[in-house]
Amino acid sequence: MPDLSRRSFGGLAAALVLDGCSRAFPKGANGEEQRLNFYNWDTYIGETTLADFSKATGVDVRMSHYANNDELFARLRAGNPGFDVIVPSNEFVTRLQISGMLSPLDHARIPNRANLAPEFVDVPYDPGRRWSMPYTWLALGIGYRKSRVDGVPDSWKWVLDSDRYSGRIGLLAEGDDLIRLGAKYLGHSVNAVTPAIMEQVTQMLIAQKRHVKLFHHDEGQDLLASGEIDLVVEYNGDIAQVMADDDDLAFVIPREGTLINSDCLCVPTGAPRPDNAHRFINYLLDAKVGADIASSIRFPTPNAAALALMPDEYRTNKVIFPSGPAMAKSGYGRFQGIGHIRAVEEAITRVMAA
Amino acid sequence: MTGPLDYLARWPLRLWLAMVGAFLYLPLLALVVFSFNDSKRITVWRGFSLRWYAELFDDGELVAAFGNSLVIAAASTIISLILGTAAALLLWRFRFAGKAALEALLGLPIVVPEICLGVAFLVFFTAILPWPTELPWPANLGAIIIAHATFSFSFVALVVRARLASFDGALAEAARDLGAGEWLIFRDIMVPHMVPGLVAGALLAFTLSLDDFVITFFTSGPDTITFPIKVYSMVRFSVTPAVNAASTLLILLTAGLTALALWLQGADIAKQAA
Amino acid sequence: MLQRPFQAPGVFAAVGLPPVVWLFALFLAPLAVIWTYSFGENRTLVDIAITGSWGNYARALKPLYLAILLKSMGFAALTTLLCFILGLPVALAITFARPRAKLLLLVAIMLPFWTNLLIRTYALMAILRTEGLINAGLGALWGLVPGLPPFEPLPLINNNFAVVVGLVYVHLPFMVLPLYAALDRLDRSLIEASLDLGAGHLATLWRVVVPLALPGIVSGIIITFIPALGAYLTPDLLGGTNSQMIANVIERQFRSANDWPFGAALSFLLMYLTFAALMVKAIISRREAAR
Repeated sequence: MPDLSRRSFGGLAAALVLDGCSRAFPKGANGEEQRLNFYNWDTYIGETTLADFSKATGVDVRMSHYANNDELFARLRAGNPGFDVIVPSNEFVTRLQISGMLSPLDHARIPNRANLAPEFVDVPYDPGRRWSMPYTWLALGIGYRKSRVDGVPDSWKWVLDSDRYSGRIGLLAEGDDLIRLGAKYLGHSVNAVTPAIMEQVTQMLIAQKRHVKLFHHDEGQDLLASGEIDLVVEYNGDIAQVMADDDDLAFVIPREGTLINSDCLCVPTGAPRPDNAHRFINYLLDAKVGADIASSIRFPTPNAAALALMPDEYRTNKVIFPSGPAMAKSGYGRFQGIGHIRAVEEAITRVMAA
Repeated sequence: MTGPLDYLARWPLRLWLAMVGAFLYLPLLALVVFSFNDSKRITVWRGFSLRWYAELFDDGELVAAFGNSLVIAAASTIISLILGTAAALLLWRFRFAGKAALEALLGLPIVVPEICLGVAFLVFFTAILPWPTELPWPANLGAIIIAHATFSFSFVALVVRARLASFDGALAEAARDLGAGEWLIFRDIMVPHMVPGLVAGALLAFTLSLDDFVITFFTSGPDTITFPIKVYSMVRFSVTPAVNAASTLLILLTAGLTALALWLQGADIAKQAA
Repeated sequence: MLQRPFQAPGVFAAVGLPPVVWLFALFLAPLAVIWTYSFGENRTLVDIAITGSWGNYARALKPLYLAILLKSMGFAALTTLLCFILGLPVALAITFARPRAKLLLLVAIMLPFWTNLLIRTYALMAILRTEGLINAGLGALWGLVPGLPPFEPLPLINNNFAVVVGLVYVHLPFMVLPLYAALDRLDRSLIEASLDLGAGHLATLWRVVVPLALPGIVSGIIITFIPALGAYLTPDLLGGTNSQMIANVIERQFRSANDWPFGAALSFLLMYLTFAALMVKAIISRREAAR
């Protein structure tokens, strides 16, 4: 399997070291400097994608990283410090957009959007794709160690509401995700969490806490791989990575259904080089480029043309592309207002303090 | 020759030092060992490999981030030393209205939660004093250096202030009576006395700066990535042994520099003895 | 004897202006904005209305948050105490070492801290985890003794014990450095006199060295306790399900909760407390100096 962690970008790397940060960039035909600031998750791009783009267009891409959506939002909240393209997840596309922090996309400049699979063309969090283009998608599920678990733990019950695996469970420390998954387990929609349901989930989590070993911050795959815990709530792509090293690990989407996320390409308000940004987004949606990225990062791609170029081993991988009735019951988490965020936060503080 | 104060030669203290050393260095040993791990993870051992070192030198981003971190740490340490020492001297020497309040205010940079100061600088450097991001390196690191110096200099002030408590004022008086000016007294009498405080303060400031993530995150832009920012952003997809390799190299570099300093100092002592 | 500013106005300005101007222009000014947020409330995701309400402080004083604050103080106090016990002998050793050994020891103490905090914490996890170095070592020793039941790994990680170990590990130099700074070139004749008069080493340490080093001890306690109180990464990574500290809560307000007003109120609550404590300390020490 390709090495996910290579972050060597050949010429770009050399350029970074050599010119520090002070090079004067020539102007391109579109009147913009021949450069682009890309704000992305770490190791979330093909090995040569940036260098290839630079070769094709003459535009140098400098990539910076953030670790989660909250950081991205907080960083941009006071103003855009110079980023041209960002990669927020679905709910944050909404948050950024209603806060006036995104600029609308000009579809005429993104012809490659025709490559997208139909289910990603029009989505509830961005009707008509005015603000975002999908880059990847991911689903929360349970990663587990086969030899230490009886059968397939295909219900949220085993991590949220049971003492069967007491002391060997790791939960994601994201309050909102936990509450929504709890609601899903109790038979509600992830997008209709009333105060009563939230209280019910909170009480369930408080009761479950003595069986939970830890709350992790998206490093659940490492904890699972090192044997610290035997069941963990994590994203499919993360578990797919450790499964490549360890045959004893597996991943399941619980039968109640789960939360789906999708990371999207957006242009933040105040982007200094909007035309380059559009060219870059269009480039990433190219079939061949999309396939290169997918084979590097091993997350599911929403790009149908790229998928067609991928080997069977990727396309039929049940962890990368979970399917079946559980997925049919799953959906995107929608933004539910600032009152909801605040209530979630207090609920999770109570759980952690209990 | 062992005098009554040669504590280093006594076994209980040696044992204690060995224990503290083990406590400090056992994790470091693990860190170094995992830098040779033939896996993408720093949690499970899968065999020996040098690939992370090779990759490290390939990874321009990590190297550049490393350079930024060192420059920021050095610059903010110098500023903190100057500001902190001045503040310590002010509090040590003078009696003035509002002194207790100033002393307490100086403690605030130590207590302010990192994230709170980070957000404060975020708003400050975007809305009130926008730092030009297009400046040539390393001037574009200015905002980060200012932020780091701000939270570090209180530490220096506290340590130097405590050191000054043991200063014998009569020395300065005598020098003054002999006609020495303020500057001369400062340079030849105060500074030598303060050296341990200055060394301790500088080490603290340097360490704080090198390690800071939160405040840097909110003051850095697309062109100013530091080592911690790079490391923390890796968490989502697992921190790789490349970071261990970088840390190992830093440890070697430091150890090498120390050995060099010791060697120079040794030569110095030998010269004096001759 | 302390001078009044007019007795040496040049010196007063030279040492006073830079830190005071910096403190006000680059620390208090940025913080002032956040301070006004603590009297505001979120109108939208990004718009904070300054309403002048004390609601955020009232919320911060709810038993839920006070209990977390108290628990954090407990963690920080225990950490400070352990750092002092571990660190004082080390500081003494550095103080009485010959110049070359002194430099060597100082760097040896600091070296682990020039690697990244996150990496250091991961390294500590490799030592403490269930299948980590310590448990593996103990398990091997256990196996050498015939007839024992199978080895049960010690629960060294993801609990409050691990949090304290982690905090001590991270904050030890914060204690050692000020202690060393205060102790170095301490008047040795006093210690020698005490020893000559028949006092043991421990008695000398307690009755002579500690009082002499008091300013350094106080500053060591301050710069260990306060940052330990603000730790968030250590409880996050080493802690169990009930190791949440106040800084974790503050952290979440500014990030996932996007609730800057409440985060500001919690932060300033901490700062008010510290400011008051330091103010009292400054006044007491001034009274003592006046006596």
